[in-house]
Amino acid sequence: MRNTKTAIGATLAALAVLCAMFATSASAAPAWKFESKSLEGTETILGAALDSSLTIPGLTTKCANFLYKVNIKNEAGTGKGEVTELPLYNCTTNTDACTVDKIGAEKLPWASKLTTVSTTPYIIIEGVKVAILYGGEECVLGETLVTVTGSAGGSIDNSKETATFNSSTLSASGTELKALSSKIEWNGLFPTEAFQWHREQALSVS
Amino acid sequence: MQKHRTRVVCSALLVVALAALGLAGSAQAKLTGLYTQFSQCPYLNLEVKKCLYSVTTSGEVVLGSKKVPIEKPVTLQGGTGAPGEDTFAKFFDASNGITLSKAPQNVPGGLLGIVPDASSPFLVKALIKFFLENSLTGVNSTLELAKSPSGIRVSELNLAGEEGTALEMPVKVHLENPFLGKNCFVGSSTSPITWKLTTGETNPPAPNTKIKGAPGEAELFEGGRILTLKNNKLVDNAWSAPKAAGCGGILSFLVDPIINSQLGTTTAGHNTAILIGTVNNGNAAAIRKNNTENP
Repeated sequence: MRNTKTAIGATLAALAVLCAMFATSASAAPAWKFESKSLEGTETILGAALDSSLTIPGLTTKCANFLYKVNIKNEAGTGKGEVTELPLYNCTTNTDACTVDKIGAEKLPWASKLTTVSTTPYIIIEGVKVAILYGGEECVLGETLVTVTGSAGGSIDNSKETATFNSSTLSASGTELKALSSKIEWNGLFPTEAFQWHREQALSVS
Repeated sequence: MQKHRTRVVCSALLVVALAALGLAGSAQAKLTGLYTQFSQCPYLNLEVKKCLYSVTTSGEVVLGSKKVPIEKPVTLQGGTGAPGEDTFAKFFDASNGITLSKAPQNVPGGLLGIVPDASSPFLVKALIKFFLENSLTGVNSTLELAKSPSGIRVSELNLAGEEGTALEMPVKVHLENPFLGKNCFVGSSTSPITWKLTTGETNPPAPNTKIKGAPGEAELFEGGRILTLKNNKLVDNAWSAPKAAGCGGILSFLVDPIINSQLGTTTAGHNTAILIGTVNNGNAAAIRKNNTENP
């Protein structure tokens, strides 16, 4: 009799654990919130990267002015959005041989969505395409158009209202950026500040 | 007077000889570090914009029913000019003339694999017996350029873009064994095998099916002056090959048909080239600078 009770108890405990797991995966699609309230309608995030660099092994490209405009909304309780503008200015490389003659985002808008990776909210940007034309008389990539493609996942820090992209966040979110057909690194820190209806309101993702 | 004239002529000749040596010296590569791999690139020619040093270390060449694995490294080296509107760049011969190194690859099955004893005419059979008795059964297959290196075309854009032809190369296959003689070839300068190698996907006629190449992993060195693609995979399985010719010396009229029968159908769709290795690309201006900095 005691054994039966123990077995029932264990089964219930297992069910509870399973329910908890399912509950976690059900909440794996977070929403955009302002002052802890779910966003209704649309909003625009506009900002400039605090820091951003793109590295093909042996060549890092940085832009002093990395601006972005992202339109966000919630759809069926899940945060969605699209990157509509990404002007990049004053870009340089870490080499004395290679210059950045032209750089620009292509095939905008890029779709984005929110997700959760191990309890941390993430933004996933899909369909990324950035064309870079390097220059420099001694640069081996001189006059070669290098295209960065793929998708990128960045972790969102609600307390700092920033999104961070690096090799760890890309790996954790199962995303990848490629250039010259090789996996490349993208490091960036981006403030998530609303610019339209919810200006100066705390933006969070949960 | 005669003695004086002789002395003047000798002095003049000496000056010319020294000048020639001096010129030879300045043309000699004095490259350092990673630049040394481009020592045979004609980088002093200002038309040369990039230098190529590509080493194939594995892969295979399937010719009809015969598959030859690439076990010995094959080097392709030289220079490339500015790309044209079609994205292809003109190729410049390696300074030492060895644009494509001759690396004999072992043909599995050896002599009996391409000239079977049982089905051969009496004369061929007798000769083969002699070669077998003297352990001269190994056959090598060496890839050679069928035309001048200017027949090679390179598209960096297609190489990185995994689309279209990245490297076009007119080649011939030299089958080597004492029995086959010195002139046993599949392909020639007038009828070359044309490889249109891609890092993307092929679209061959049947019975071959699509295969995929890969640009490999890119890494830049020397501050962006040298680009290396490791595990680069170039493929083509849509090429056709002419019949083998010139095999067996004066008996070629007997031996060629036997070899061709053993190779089987070599029309498009029956052959494959898979070249795996490392491609190194250097900026010619940077290589020139390295050369002048290290006299």
